[in-house]
Amino acid sequence: MSRLGSWLVLSFRLHRWEVLASLVGTAVLAAVMLWLASQLRFLAASEPGCPDPASYVGGGCEQFAQRFSNLGDWGRQLLLVSWGTPFGMGLVLGVPLVSREVEHRTAGIAWTLSRSRGWWLARRVAFLALVLIVLLAALATVSEILAAAVLPTLQLDSDFTWHGRRGWLIVARGLAALGIGVLIGAIVGRLLPAMLTAAFVSVLVFVGFSLGMDRWLEADAVLVPAMNGNAASEVGELSLGWRIELLNGQVITPDELYGRDGNVNVNEDMDGRLYNSPDGTLRPENIIGWSRELLVPGRLYRQVVLRESAVATGLGLLLLLGAAGVVARRRPT
Amino acid sequence: MSDEPIVLEAHALAKRYGRRNWALSGIDLALPQGGITALVGPNAAGKSTLIKTWIGFERPTRGSVTVAGIDPWRDRSGALAHVGYVPQSPALYDALSVDDHLDLAVQLRPGFDRAYARQRLDELGIPGDQGARSLSGGQQAQVALALALGTRAEILLLDEPLASLDPLARREFLHVLTDAVHAQGATALLSSHIVTDVEQACDRLIVLGVGRVLLHDTVADALSTHWIGTASDLGAGVEAVASFAGPAGERLTLARTRRAGAIAYGLRRATLEEVVLGYLASGRGLPSEVAA
Repeated sequence: MSRLGSWLVLSFRLHRWEVLASLVGTAVLAAVMLWLASQLRFLAASEPGCPDPASYVGGGCEQFAQRFSNLGDWGRQLLLVSWGTPFGMGLVLGVPLVSREVEHRTAGIAWTLSRSRGWWLARRVAFLALVLIVLLAALATVSEILAAAVLPTLQLDSDFTWHGRRGWLIVARGLAALGIGVLIGAIVGRLLPAMLTAAFVSVLVFVGFSLGMDRWLEADAVLVPAMNGNAASEVGELSLGWRIELLNGQVITPDELYGRDGNVNVNEDMDGRLYNSPDGTLRPENIIGWSRELLVPGRLYRQVVLRESAVATGLGLLLLLGAAGVVARRRPT
Repeated sequence: MSDEPIVLEAHALAKRYGRRNWALSGIDLALPQGGITALVGPNAAGKSTLIKTWIGFERPTRGSVTVAGIDPWRDRSGALAHVGYVPQSPALYDALSVDDHLDLAVQLRPGFDRAYARQRLDELGIPGDQGARSLSGGQQAQVALALALGTRAEILLLDEPLASLDPLARREFLHVLTDAVHAQGATALLSSHIVTDVEQACDRLIVLGVGRVLLHDTVADALSTHWIGTASDLGAGVEAVASFAGPAGERLTLARTRRAGAIAYGLRRATLEEVVLGYLASGRGLPSEVAA
């Protein structure tokens, strides 16, 4: 057997259960998604007289649209699962790598046999990253297929609908989760506590990542009129949240408004004007500004996905470098 | 002291865990190339800690160690290139077969001699396709030894590999080790608290107690210069090492001299176990800390 073949076989045997779990889980999810996508396409093709199956358009299409919507609901649920899959897979593959070696005391032999601990870790991570990329790339592709089947009239490559539940961001987030898993596993050194800690940390990292990316995207976002916190624009744009444009032109968040005056009582009229009216009456002298929404245009979708993917991948690599630093210093037991 | 080059060295080595627990206190050692050295001492004597500082698993609190002239903490990879290591409990990968372990070693260690390691295991009748999980403790120790020998390293560090083995497995393990060491011209340091097992296999003896070196000598010299008995008058020029309780409760005194004629009536040559016991008893009163 070649060195490459031997490496693949041994790496698989060392991570058999987590790789099989990831493989089976992804295969089942992808198969169901593909089946559902084919059902939706078959249904859409069966009623050529109803051009937009995702909406009730009248003309005898209501029953067809209802059936399409019911199937589409399943698609939405599956896409939600595809959103969570990279986090689960990254942790399932990443956490045991070092923690199990330490817990089962095999690190002592492996680390003295290896030319360096960094070399040992790189070989092991490379295999797991390969598995993760292949499986999540397949899921990313299938999720795009399903999303296109559920929303056949949308141009999804310039549309933020189900952002993060489809496409390459799934792979990048998986790499970030893998980095978290390997690092926490190396620090904690015991499988179960490391898994729980890594799950908690990945939630924190994801929230921080999302907030950070939103701040970054504000530079590319546009301010549009909104009513009751909702933009009066078409779907497909990414909302970064409700904003208030004050009379002096300053744009602030609702939190900033309440931070300035805790007693403010904001009411909105039909035209999106905002009033500070404790008694609920909308008098002109009480106008404080206008309701706005900060939106990233759909045409930036690919650029944003590329940017977020690069950041998530970079974060994953950084965490893996951190794990290498921990492995280089820690005791093997 | 031998004229052979020094391959393992410790200078004023001290290792502390936590704030007060000194595992090693001022160890000075220089092991020449070749042969097997037994590192003997009770539990918590610091044997494992000493070995782990030589493979870069533990950082000295004070002092320094070298392996083939290399500081393992500063250049762990460089030091480990000279070392084959057998851990205390040879933990193998449950998911791998014996041959998988050899394949893994080939991948991890440049120059790993798979055929040599396989040959050692063939001689013991350990099949390559057997899962590590189903091996006996003795077989697991043999696989760990084969992995260390396959590195063809000039220094072998064995951290109590005999502790959990039955007598037959211990004998087989030592047989393989001595054969390999003499064939390769390697240097082996074998830690153990079972003196009788290492007596036949080892050329040198280090007795470690309370984190200190209590005796460092060749086995032959240790046997020829130590005497034991119940006599209180040892004779002129004879150094009393320590007194300790004998098997029948009698008070035995271990004495040391190079002049056999000076030995008083009633003393006899000490066995290696008695030598070790005497030096361990001599270490009881010593403080387990080094002065700041």
